[in-house]
Amino acid sequence: MSFSIHLEDWRGWIAAEATPTPDPRHRISAQPGNDLPAMLRRRLDSAGRATCEILAALDPGSDFPLVHASRHGDTTRSLAMLEALQRGEPISPTHFSMSVHNALLGVHSIARQHHRPIQALGACGDEFDAILAEAKGYLVEGYQAVIAVFSECVLASAYHGCTEHPGIPCAVGLRLTLNTGQPLLSSDPAHPTHPTPLEVISWLNGDSPYLEGRRRWELGTT
Amino acid sequence: MSETHTTLSLELKHLLIETLELEDIAPGDIDPDAPLFGEGLGLDSIDALELGLALQKRFGIKLDAEAEETRRHFANLNALQALVEARRAN
Repeated sequence: MSFSIHLEDWRGWIAAEATPTPDPRHRISAQPGNDLPAMLRRRLDSAGRATCEILAALDPGSDFPLVHASRHGDTTRSLAMLEALQRGEPISPTHFSMSVHNALLGVHSIARQHHRPIQALGACGDEFDAILAEAKGYLVEGYQAVIAVFSECVLASAYHGCTEHPGIPCAVGLRLTLNTGQPLLSSDPAHPTHPTPLEVISWLNGDSPYLEGRRRWELGTT
Repeated sequence: MSETHTTLSLELKHLLIETLELEDIAPGDIDPDAPLFGEGLGLDSIDALELGLALQKRFGIKLDAEAEETRRHFANLNALQALVEARRAN
């Protein structure tokens, strides 16, 4: 079955000075989050703030369903809670509430009065393919566009060397449609990999001709 | 106002800022008479739970999250301070 989906626009963010830097036309603030109300912003780390800024840039009217993927989520907070439990101490209600995978989209929906469907997922390394599949579902249901964001925050040091991680906080968001923008063409991958947001940004920048996840993805011409 | 009273007021302001990660708020921004929740400082229900935990850890004060009197203790900084002065265990 053919998998027709189009890329209308995108935004990328990488913490600090790192390569690949997103193309200037697709960058957000280096220190994102200034548009968020301070009482909501305080609950988000830098990748969370970047994700919210990307969502606002690609969906300024809060019109479209949102899909957010992170392979690892906020491991720093989750591990801190596990360590507190091990010591027999009570855990922070704030950390508990923010450790659920959909907390970030929840904060965004409050900040931007977004009332469309939202969905958070983790896919063991297959996040990029997963957000496209989920976006396609919403589009087929009749939504004009879907915003799909893939982000990773700092990985707790205890996990270093135990899992794949981009090594730096980063986020990339795509506005996807059924048939406007550049077509995303898929084929069988030569070497299926687990792309992080860094590889997605690099591919969208045009630094690499294709992106290999579960499928090989290439950008067609408009 | 006694020195102890002023010191405790400042300590509670720092406790609020640190515990609730109020990164844009300085101690001088917290009006002791202004509501802590909703209007005023703008804290929410998660902050209420976090504050209850902080009072337990720092001062040994245990509050019933459902009790109406807890709502009064959390009305503003002055009410919070009166609670700590009356019931602190450490």
